[in-house]
Amino acid sequence: MLRSTRLLAGIASLTLVLAGCGGSGNKQSSGGSTQTSGVTITVALASDAPPKAALDAFTQQTGITVNWVNIDWDSLQNKISAAATAKTYFADATNVDWSRVGQLGKLGWFYPVDSYVDTKAMQADVPQLASFTVDGHVVGIPYDASFMVTTVNTELFQKAGVNPAPRTMDEYTSALKTIKAKGVADHPLNIPFAAAEGLSTYWYETTGAFGGTVLDKDGKPQFTSPDSAGYKAADWMVNALKSGLVPPGNINVSDSQGMQNLMARGQVASTFSDYSGNVGTLYNIKKSSSVVGKVKYIATPGASGPAANLSNPDGIGIPKQAKYPNAAAKFIEWFTATEQQADFAGVNGPEKTFATYPIPSHLSAVKQMTAKGNLIGGAELVPMLQGSKPVFEGGAPSWYPKFSNAVYTNLHAAATGSMSVEQAMKTIGDTANQLASGS
Amino acid sequence: MTKRRTGLRGLGVALLLIWSLGPVYWAIKTSLQTETDARARPAHYLPTNATLQNYSTLLSGDSDIPAQVRRSAVNIVVECGAATIVTVVLATLAAYAFARMRFRGRNVLFYAVLATMAFPAYTTLIPLYRIMSTFGLVNTYTGIVLVYVSGFLPLATWILHNYFASLPDGIEEAGLVDGARRLQVLWHLLLPLARPGIISTALITFLFAWGQFLFPLVLSSDLSTQPLTVVIAALQGRHVVPSTLLNAAGVLAIVVPAVLALAFNRYIVNGLLAGSTK
Repeated sequence: MLRSTRLLAGIASLTLVLAGCGGSGNKQSSGGSTQTSGVTITVALASDAPPKAALDAFTQQTGITVNWVNIDWDSLQNKISAAATAKTYFADATNVDWSRVGQLGKLGWFYPVDSYVDTKAMQADVPQLASFTVDGHVVGIPYDASFMVTTVNTELFQKAGVNPAPRTMDEYTSALKTIKAKGVADHPLNIPFAAAEGLSTYWYETTGAFGGTVLDKDGKPQFTSPDSAGYKAADWMVNALKSGLVPPGNINVSDSQGMQNLMARGQVASTFSDYSGNVGTLYNIKKSSSVVGKVKYIATPGASGPAANLSNPDGIGIPKQAKYPNAAAKFIEWFTATEQQADFAGVNGPEKTFATYPIPSHLSAVKQMTAKGNLIGGAELVPMLQGSKPVFEGGAPSWYPKFSNAVYTNLHAAATGSMSVEQAMKTIGDTANQLASGS
Repeated sequence: MTKRRTGLRGLGVALLLIWSLGPVYWAIKTSLQTETDARARPAHYLPTNATLQNYSTLLSGDSDIPAQVRRSAVNIVVECGAATIVTVVLATLAAYAFARMRFRGRNVLFYAVLATMAFPAYTTLIPLYRIMSTFGLVNTYTGIVLVYVSGFLPLATWILHNYFASLPDGIEEAGLVDGARRLQVLWHLLLPLARPGIISTALITFLFAWGQFLFPLVLSSDLSTQPLTVVIAALQGRHVVPSTLLNAAGVLAIVVPAVLALAFNRYIVNGLLAGSTK
């Protein structure tokens, strides 16, 4: 009797322990092993795995086996934060997004990659490396060259009898109005007005097109005056919605939804801030598009002529809790090398092609692709990549996530009409000032 | 006046149904269409040329996406099933102890267990992650099941406590007088009477576990343990996954909880109301 009483009381106590096991911490992860051979590393990226043959060749060459984990981008960011906060291992190499560089640098969640890889030697050939440098250290190495581009459905532009390659914002706006007026497309412009990151980046690119920048080197807002490029860009975007150039339903459309459901289906004639590589990886794929062969990249229309494209690349870095940081560095070196990127991009035959790989981060690899005719729109993309600029002159500030949240929340509110563009710009500006001053 | 009130009530119910079931209907409709039909403008409100091709692809296709969906479906069944069994067993024993036995600190312990239900689940995410990592339980069924158990045990204990507390003392006393031990009394006399409560607890635990996303996302690293909820979210972010296939995967994910909720609605309601009336 006593035995069973104790057992049941014990179970009751176990219930308490299990229920409240958000208890104290325990041993933290070590600094990791310097071993670079005979180990298995985990690489977690928002991407399918490269061809098995390529990974096998890497293993043969280095003795490092790669366990590839594919997690969608948003979930991956949650995992990176959770693992870093819990000081717990989850991968040896993982995603470093351009927008989180400042934050990651400040928090010290990643090793400086320049301690492991000769990043100076790749600087000239990887223009977007600048977006991953904070306080003189490189937090991650871009493995693809993502930048914002303008895409147009040439068929719809031609149907309306307008030039499919407008060079200025005025020409571009006028072309869209003509397309609408002639009934070629009811709402010819895709702007993703859902309150999400895609709305923020769209505004940054449009601000660049109007000849300005969102924040200066010290993180001070540059968009509160009605004469500023940022203000004009916001006004242009909101007016485009109000005047019917943008589908009214776009108030709740995210960037990828707009690309997949509107642009890829010929519902709209243009996306001003599209993903580089989308023509090859989305619009020209029969399975997911009804505009195959019709969408082209154009030089981004600017205030008085083509404007620079802003970079938003994904990089790869080594989290501080990596078990094998040196082995991870070897992998990063291999994964981001020019020759490897050329293979992934299909320059050296389909068996080496990495199916979902967008555009190499090395200019030399992009040029090889273009020369071999592997890059759809390569002739247009190469100069864009060459001239691409970081979104923020001084790199993404450590408080970027809060700033971006203020940007998309207020721009969305301006689009819904619950506040004016002026109020939105003021609120975003106040937030930036507050964040920059550290309060 | 009464007719008007009935009409308004009907309108309210209709709006509520459209609001709740509209997205589910749209997912089912899309899953029964080809990609071309699903993309048609203007959209079809009824499925044209309905086909089960997407379900057939998911259930028997040999490409990457169907294989991922099938594996993650197995994972979610294993994780939710195991979590339900462990939770019900532990909760039964704990609830019996709290409801029927006298020991020092009983009430303090019981209310401490109940108090953990007030903590937002996310506050325990990081500590749990560290604990699981220390014990090598990240990316294992055991780790995920233990976390589910820790999360759902207080509610399960509370539901079953109310059931046990409502049973007459005489039954247990008669068993003890006849020489049965506590566990024998529990097993042979009380459990059969508390069966509706146990079924309710199992259903509620299973349904709660099925809907989990953030905990399994953080605690699972690859397809060996990722449940369907995590895998479907991951597929959504990829450009080339047809929306019809994605919707079919979504429908499969809601079929199990929907069937359970519809079939055992009575038990779920009783479980949640247990102890609310005398």
